Amino acid sequence: MGDLPASDLFIIITVLLSGAGIVVGVIVPAIGQMVVARSAMNAIARQPEASDAVNRALILCLAMLESLAIYILAVILILLFANPLRQFILGG
Amino acid sequence: MELEQEFIPVVLFHIGPLQVTSTIVDTWIIMAIVSVAVIVLGKRLQIKPARWQNALEWVVEAIDGVIRDMIPENPRLFLPIVGTLMVFITAANLGGLIPGLSSPTSDINTPLAMAIVVFFSVHYYGIHEKGLLGHLKHYVEPIFILLPIELASELARTLSLTFRLFGNILGEEIVIAVLFLILPYFVPVPMMLFSIFTSVIQAYVFGMLTVVYISGAVRAYE
Repeated sequence: MGDLPASDLFIIITVLLSGAGIVVGVIVPAIGQMVVARSAMNAIARQPEASDAVNRALILCLAMLESLAIYILAVILILLFANPLRQFILGG
Repeated sequence: MELEQEFIPVVLFHIGPLQVTSTIVDTWIIMAIVSVAVIVLGKRLQIKPARWQNALEWVVEAIDGVIRDMIPENPRLFLPIVGTLMVFITAANLGGLIPGLSSPTSDINTPLAMAIVVFFSVHYYGIHEKGLLGHLKHYVEPIFILLPIELASELARTLSLTFRLFGNILGEEIVIAVLFLILPYFVPVPMMLFSIFTSVIQAYVFGMLTVVYISGAVRAYE
């Protein structure tokens, strides 16, 4: 890749890093959501009468965890479509 | 980059110094649909509800139930703001499914505006219920070392409210657009069905978090 111009290299590296980043950024919150959902299911199985309260807390926790994945998505969208450093490499 | 053009709102016209983007026009259309629907449905209310009035009452009771669980004393005070947010976000998210419209919530300015409304209403209700000193006191309870953490969490919750709604809706639209580029007509349909689910859940989560934040400000600590 040594003889590629800097702009091509920049695009290739951005795309590669974005792909890798979204994979990691989705897997980690997914594992967290798995743990939360499993505990909630256990709690509902143990005490079905508490399922309303558990459901509410479950949705809140899942939303909190999901926002981690959303942060990664926002960063990667900025990297891909609105990278502020792009003008230095690609020249405007 | 046609995909890129799809998600950046275009400036349609100017009113004085203000730019009117396509997001604002879409918001107006959705506001008009919701307002007309609610005015028409709320016109002939009866003691024994008919079909549509029943549906409307179910929505109000569901939102009221969410608030009542979190804030047992005087929950009706918070019904207007939470109900408005939930109904508007649901309509705005679902509006993206109408051809020609795009969800106003997939432009970051709309979720940011609503998160700022939530930020100020939390403080308004906190001061309204407990007085200025009582409201400020809960930042230094139980110990004053927590003050920076509390202030940081005030900012973080506003940002996370914004980005959660924005990212979910925009991500959904991007996935649908990418599927549409690959295989049009039938492949995006399951994803669009799934986006109905996401839209409603995100509106619920936004309203729920609003209730949680307000309840944190107005709850009496023993």
